[in-house]
Amino acid sequence: MEVWKEFEQNVVTHSAAHHLMAIDDLIRKVGYARVSDIARELDITRGSVSISLRPLKDAGLIIQDDNRHLRLSPSGQALVDAIKTKRAVAQRLFHEFFGVDAEQAEIDACKLEHLISNQVAQRVLAFLRFIDSGDPAVCRFLQAWRGVDPVCNGTPETCPSCQGGCLAENVER
Amino acid sequence: MSTLSRDELVSELSRIFAEEVEAATRYIHLLNSVRGMDRLVVEPILREGVTETIQHAEVIARKIRSLGRVPRLDIKVNCPPEAISGREALRQALVFEEAALEGYQDLLRRVEGDVPLEEFVRSQIALESEHVAQLRELLDE
Repeated sequence: MEVWKEFEQNVVTHSAAHHLMAIDDLIRKVGYARVSDIARELDITRGSVSISLRPLKDAGLIIQDDNRHLRLSPSGQALVDAIKTKRAVAQRLFHEFFGVDAEQAEIDACKLEHLISNQVAQRVLAFLRFIDSGDPAVCRFLQAWRGVDPVCNGTPETCPSCQGGCLAENVER
Repeated sequence: MSTLSRDELVSELSRIFAEEVEAATRYIHLLNSVRGMDRLVVEPILREGVTETIQHAEVIARKIRSLGRVPRLDIKVNCPPEAISGREALRQALVFEEAALEGYQDLLRRVEGDVPLEEFVRSQIALESEHVAQLRELLDE
């Protein structure tokens, strides 16, 4: 399947990811999660929450008991744990390593958290482990990286990263 | 007396106002999503849903106005352009009607002690319970 079509097939949309995480957060904070609590947490209507939860129930990610209390199934919990981890690693990568300001790093990590594959997340984690290792090579690498001027001097002919046009220009417009 | 401040109460009522307006919008969409013979059966029920949710929204808005405020409306409805069966339409209506009922039940707990408000919320609960019961009966669930 073409990548963009596969993207459309994703059961866990951005909104669904936030519904699942809200259930997890509420259970950790107050011990239970009802539709009303999720609506309050996400600042949306209960009707929207109920409608959004239907496909997640059908997919077996959440379970509702007779008292209308919601909890995550083992597969739902695994998904939430993965999403939260991906958000944390992406946020750390963008902020601490790339130097993006904290707020923007959080926004972009939030946009990507449910879309990053496990393979990419594992490699980013490995990279962060390497950064945290204290290896002298890391110190030299970080020193060199932090000395890089983030502003491109705009000479695509001699730039080793650009082929046939200035890539930096494309994202500055 | 209720432990809610006036601001909190208006915020709670505005939330329910939004629920009702959103439900009316969803009913209108459901009304136009059912195709085939099923329309004959469910159209009057869904049409009644539109009318009643708008009436409920107006009652809540009046309540907010009586508190000297203007209701806040913040809704985001995204309904897919898919034809559905009459049964599925009723099932979807049941989902948001149950959510509305839960909303009023939640509000009742929060306004405990404020007798006029309690009575008002109780009457809304009675109406919503009737809707939910009617839909459950039709769905035989």
